Amino acid sequence: MSKIDALPSDIVAADRAAAAPGRSLWRRYEATILGAGSIVLLLAVWEALPRLVTLSAGTKLFFTTPSHVVGTLWSMFATGSIWAPLGVSAGAFALGLGIAIVVALPLGVLLGRSATLSALFDPFITAFNATPRLVFLPLVMLWFGLGLWSKVVIVFIGALFPLLINTYEGVRNADKLLINVVRSFGADEWAVARLVVVPNALPYIMVGLRLAVGRAILGVVVAEFFGSTEGLGVVMVRAASSYHVDVVFAGLIVFAALSLAMTAMVKLVEDRLQRWRPQHAND
Amino acid sequence: MADIAVDIPAPRASFFARHRRALLGLLAVAVFLAAWQAVFLVVPFNPLFVTKPSLMLAGLLDMIETGELVDALLASGTPFCLGLAAAAVVGVAVGIVMGWRTRVGYALDPLLTVFYASPLVALAPLVVVFFGVGTGAKTMIVFLLAVFPFIFNACAGTRAVDRLLIDVVRSLGGRERDLYVKVIVPSVLPYIVAAARIAVGRALIGVLVGEFFAASEGIGYAIARFGDLFALDRMFACILVIMIIAIALTEGIRWAERVAFPWRVGQ
Repeated sequence: MSKIDALPSDIVAADRAAAAPGRSLWRRYEATILGAGSIVLLLAVWEALPRLVTLSAGTKLFFTTPSHVVGTLWSMFATGSIWAPLGVSAGAFALGLGIAIVVALPLGVLLGRSATLSALFDPFITAFNATPRLVFLPLVMLWFGLGLWSKVVIVFIGALFPLLINTYEGVRNADKLLINVVRSFGADEWAVARLVVVPNALPYIMVGLRLAVGRAILGVVVAEFFGSTEGLGVVMVRAASSYHVDVVFAGLIVFAALSLAMTAMVKLVEDRLQRWRPQHAND
Repeated sequence: MADIAVDIPAPRASFFARHRRALLGLLAVAVFLAAWQAVFLVVPFNPLFVTKPSLMLAGLLDMIETGELVDALLASGTPFCLGLAAAAVVGVAVGIVMGWRTRVGYALDPLLTVFYASPLVALAPLVVVFFGVGTGAKTMIVFLLAVFPFIFNACAGTRAVDRLLIDVVRSLGGRERDLYVKVIVPSVLPYIVAAARIAVGRALIGVLVGEFFAASEGIGYAIARFGDLFALDRMFACILVIMIIAIALTEGIRWAERVAFPWRVGQ
């Protein structure tokens, strides 16, 4: 992964670390106060807008306020109406991501270890990675129907490529010297993979997993929008077409929260796995 | 995954040895297409379920001849270009200010991160309801999806600007405007090109979502419609066209990055 694709959180973290200790309270918490402040301000303006400006009847139809969205979200959890569609979506997500991991890791190691195989697969991987996976959705629906499996397939092809490419890169960057050492002590290809290649590739794989989680959630949403009969995405589309805008936003919040929570979880595992290293491998 | 481990060609290396990777890749694609075409000699062919490369090619040529393909591409290309251009202008401007003015960065970073992390595609139905079916809604979806890579990369690029250069311009009497034009923009440019590569992919998704969801024209609409009509040869032909466009755009920008900013290669 190139360093150019910097994560916003990294940038902020670097700035915070740079702030010298012993400054005033405002100085120390400036970033947090300003960051939270802008979000609060946006919500407040949004909330106040219909009270300050008279909206036309047409606009009112698809206008909602944050308090309304929170209320809807609360009642969805309180009545338990969210659990059934959320469960359906989560099932497709977990199944698709799981299959992607099971396929991508061994294939990535194999391609990373064999120049011939990687040359053979390269055009296909480049092509599929550049193409938005969404383009296959009508085809996948035709082949797998409206049920669970078309969702699983969309999630799978979305999550496969970041995992595969990162595993491949990680394997290829393994220390040649270490591989030769292990070989001289009589290790076979299996032992080389277990002792050198896979541990070296782990940080790369975790970055791939972080990307894959995001892609997988996107896959669930999109697949449920266009070809499904149940799931949280379906609830959102139905709400949009009947002008229940608050439900659309409530669904968006749930998806965003899940995405953030899972990305943070992967990041935690990532940091834990890196602890034994003298320095971060991607530096 | 391109351009790896091509050994420095020895003077007497054969043609095959020098282009081994590319040749193997071509071979794999050729074998794949041949196998796809040949498998129906054994397996019964059901045109409602799959298609063959020969039929796909015929469908493609037919759509080119009738002008159908060009019309669809134009209908999709307009919102794609408009949305992407607007995203680049707005995103780069916001990103540079965020990176340059620390407090603006503090204020906007968490908010924009939340937006970037949430699946904004989910807002597509709302955008369509708001802007109606057509170029407006599609442009808006493309803009929404493509603007964030520009913001975050321009911001990261601005923060990576060499402070020494800034001090030099300042001490030689440069104004704020000179800083932007002479120091910040040139060093931010590689980040922006990288952002463009990410944004192009997201913009393509935006066009397709808009057209799958509500449209009466465009390449995404064509794919969905041919799917409904079980015209799989044309559907595959359209998918192939999108694949080629996506590869050309992504690899084109990658190539431009290598040529224009060779010092960044390998990062």
